[in-house]
Amino acid sequence: MSETFVLPVGPQHPALKEPTSFRFKVDGEYIIDADLRLGYNHRGMEKGCEARTYVQDIYLLERVCGICSNAHMTCFAQGVERLMGIEPPPRGLFIRCLMGELERIHSHLLWLGVAGHEIGFDTFFMYTWRDREVVMDLLEMVSGNRVNYGMQTFGGVRRDLDGTQIKTLLEGIAALKARTPYYLNLGATEPTMVARIKGVGLLPKQKAIELNTAGPTARASGVDFDVRKDDPYAGFGDLIPFTIVTDDGCDVLARVVVRAKEMMASYDIMEFILKNLPAGEIRTKAPRRVPEGETVSRVEAQRGECIHYIRANGTDKPDRVKVRAPTLANWPATLYMLRGAFLADIPIIMAAIDPCLSCTDRMAVISDCRGNEKVWDWETLRQHGIDFHRRRGIRP
Amino acid sequence: MSLRLGAMLPEVFRHLFKRPATVLYPFERNTVPRGLRGRPVMDPDKCIGCRMCERDCPAEAIEIKQESEATMPDGKVKKRYSMTLYLDRCAHCAQCEEICPAKPDKAVKLNEYFEEAAFDRGALKIVYK
Ligand code: SF4
Ligand code: SF4
Repeated sequence: MSETFVLPVGPQHPALKEPTSFRFKVDGEYIIDADLRLGYNHRGMEKGCEARTYVQDIYLLERVCGICSNAHMTCFAQGVERLMGIEPPPRGLFIRCLMGELERIHSHLLWLGVAGHEIGFDTFFMYTWRDREVVMDLLEMVSGNRVNYGMQTFGGVRRDLDGTQIKTLLEGIAALKARTPYYLNLGATEPTMVARIKGVGLLPKQKAIELNTAGPTARASGVDFDVRKDDPYAGFGDLIPFTIVTDDGCDVLARVVVRAKEMMASYDIMEFILKNLPAGEIRTKAPRRVPEGETVSRVEAQRGECIHYIRANGTDKPDRVKVRAPTLANWPATLYMLRGAFLADIPIIMAAIDPCLSCTDRMAVISDCRGNEKVWDWETLRQHGIDFHRRRGIRP
Repeated sequence: MSLRLGAMLPEVFRHLFKRPATVLYPFERNTVPRGLRGRPVMDPDKCIGCRMCERDCPAEAIEIKQESEATMPDGKVKKRYSMTLYLDRCAHCAQCEEICPAKPDKAVKLNEYFEEAAFDRGALKIVYK
């Protein structure tokens, strides 16, 4: 006789480094149903933006995510540029795209390693992360920082490339280009790895479309959607050629393949950019006040479509900023993939969407089992924090 | 593609004869690239007191204060400013350097020093005057 029970996983759990809470209804080793609770990492950044100037916001929003920092910065910058009615010069647009692709490489290599780690293949993790250092060094050389590159600004980019940097970039890209097929082959031919990820976390194309899946997760289910192609921004479209990568596998293996092939496509984009870099200015002058209006800006972050909504009221501070990070779009599909899966596959199925929780977290109102809800305002929360520490003998 | 057991082994063996990829920090150090965004340093001799850096700093890590005021023999008033930098809050974004209008040389610039860890928060409050 089968008996089901509910297994809570999280907020702290072994699969991810960030907190989120799941409720799994399980029957033996099978997951019958999955539910999700967000809100453990809500940081109030959208509200924070309203209290700061546009210039300050660009750095605040860069920190929505440590991995997609350039994607958020680009997204916000180009939205505000549209409201200001300014357009960066071609060289600025090219460097903007270059940063996006460099970031994609670092993120995909990081993800490959994490995927290896989640299925217990730590050798794979070590090698991918070692190679990731190549692109991290390139990013550091171009921007002056390993994370949070701070390259984008209103009207273009903040740093230019010189001849030596272009040469180093091309060398680094060539080295990575030689390495990536190795990972692709390994992912697709190493029997232990294939056995662990093939047919796991199935998401059919129709479901991927219905559940609004974004990024490599969607493309690995055969959905050929990419903002770079469907709503070209920065230099994409007319200036920089781009090929979309999809796979029909619909499983975790397909997500590995799509990401590895996307890296190959990114190397081509970067080589094109570096060999055809237009001369001239990298940025145009931007006003400090933004005329009244509203806009939606989107970019293809490495995890999928990243959307920013910006409403301006004519001052130097935005009226409202809303961020839709790609992970939020992929949660419904993750829950779908988890239903019917094995308990042991939870880590890799979740990791396969490359989730980023703090980027996604919203404030959530949770009622207890009796249906009671409690909402605290800022002052109450602050007082609670002070009292909490006082009780433990810590004085502010 | 056919499945192949031990596809990683040749790579693993090759690495037996390679140098480690990591550096034994702090005994050895990596060199940092030119233009690394390190610690903001302010030169009071060049500052014109416009407070643009203070206004733009996203981390509110900068305080500009007027220190003295002197009338020069030619009748011009010369003011001197100090900067208090809360390095524990600084996000190393270099917006202060970017916005500083002082000419011909910017009054605040980021150096390439990156070993900023400290045991005491107070040590990260830096006053330039
Ligand atoms: S580098 Fe950025 S965060 Fe640091 S003091 Fe300058 S403006 Fe502020
Ligand atoms: S922006 Fe430059 S000149 Fe203006 S107050 Fe800051 S350091 Fe001084």
